[in-house]
Amino acid sequence: MSIAAHLDRYAHRNSPVHRLDARAKVPAVFAYVLVISTTREADWTAIGLLALPVLALVIASRLGPWLVLRRTFLALPFVMAAVPLMFTRPGETVFTLPLLGWTASDEGIQAVATILARSWLSVAMAVVLVSSTPMVQILRALRWLRVPRLLVATISFTYRYFFVIGEEAQRMIRARDSRSARLPGLHGGGSVRWRARVVGHMAGSLFVRSLERSERVHAAMQARGYRGEPRFLDDPPLPALHLAAAAAFVVLGVAMQAGARL
Amino acid sequence: MLPPGLHIPDGFLSTPISLAAWVIAIVVLALAVRFADRDLDERAVPLMGVMAAFIFAAQMMNFPVAGGTSGHMVGGALAAILLGPWAAIIVLTAVVALQALLFQDGGLVVMGANILNMGIITVLLATLIYRVCRPFALGNAAALGIAFVAAWITVEASAIATALQLAASGTSPLEVVFPAMVSVHALIGIGEGLITAAALGFVLATRPDLVPRPAAATR
Repeated sequence: MSIAAHLDRYAHRNSPVHRLDARAKVPAVFAYVLVISTTREADWTAIGLLALPVLALVIASRLGPWLVLRRTFLALPFVMAAVPLMFTRPGETVFTLPLLGWTASDEGIQAVATILARSWLSVAMAVVLVSSTPMVQILRALRWLRVPRLLVATISFTYRYFFVIGEEAQRMIRARDSRSARLPGLHGGGSVRWRARVVGHMAGSLFVRSLERSERVHAAMQARGYRGEPRFLDDPPLPALHLAAAAAFVVLGVAMQAGARL
Repeated sequence: MLPPGLHIPDGFLSTPISLAAWVIAIVVLALAVRFADRDLDERAVPLMGVMAAFIFAAQMMNFPVAGGTSGHMVGGALAAILLGPWAAIIVLTAVVALQALLFQDGGLVVMGANILNMGIITVLLATLIYRVCRPFALGNAAALGIAFVAAWITVEASAIATALQLAASGTSPLEVVFPAMVSVHALIGIGEGLITAAALGFVLATRPDLVPRPAAATR
């Protein structure tokens, strides 16, 4: 399956969240995730209150809870990094692992659960953002937020050529796999060093092809009058209503966080 | 990739650590944008954009190591050696940003930390090691050895930085996360080093004009 088919797949649906201007959406999502990150350990009131606007957003985006749920699981393997906390934090013993003899404390389990909940809510926000906004709009928002032109232009080009180079890489991988026939059940290929060399040569070859492509792209840009200054279309006016809606969402988050601490 | 990986998701770093990492990342990026613009002039955007796409694609190329795990590149050292530090930092920042935006591989508020760990520490360290050692390497084989070592060290440094940030945030106990990250990435670093050296070897053999040479290395 081509890489392009996977991306921006849900960004062109229609919902209030999809229609919201990216220049309001991007900073609002960032600010809300920042508010989530300030949640104190085992502050379940705050997490519950902060989850309500997220849930409302998921419903309003009409992406379907399954889609959001499925995409949020991608980030979960990282939870391995927090699990040891369960056993090292001193506190009331809840259970002991058989064989290893490690004891899990109540405080430790609460700490791990807090991290998981914070992370999960943040990822859900990010999933709603990218599933409801075409990448081009996100990049335009970054430009509007005064991210340096050179950086935004580089990210735009990366997005543009990721498909081209990525599919070139897929072709090379397919070619390698076709050449590397092996009998089922038998160990194929040489040593790890040999395999790394094959992949390294593929990467080197891809580098040379990419660099030569960038030279052709540059020549094509020059032919169209490029003078080294990336140009962007003028931004359409940003409706105050959109800004107000985004600001209200962030204020709601701050209020939830503050309310939980009273 | 093996958990714990290097792309930190949101929620795993404390707010002060995330913001401090953003401040460092923004300062270095501001410098990188200025110097890359000066060094590369009007070629900058197409070159860096296509190169970031290349790093992205090169990360797709993996090879089986053992026990169901596979080695693949981060690409910091390779980008630093082939493109110079400033362009490499911007290239890797574009990669980290797009990975977070397209695949939720890495968070938004913690993106500063991810840029710092994978895009800035790797590139600056690899540049330092390669520039200091390259003049002493007489043949291409020695240069590849240096690239291997530089790549291995950058992966290790990146893992150590991640472990320290997780520990400072109170997310992982230092005495657990530090040895775990260091030992797992010591293995991943070997894959990174081998691929980096082989890729550099390929470029040296086919287009040696593309590999910048420190002045002292001319023979």
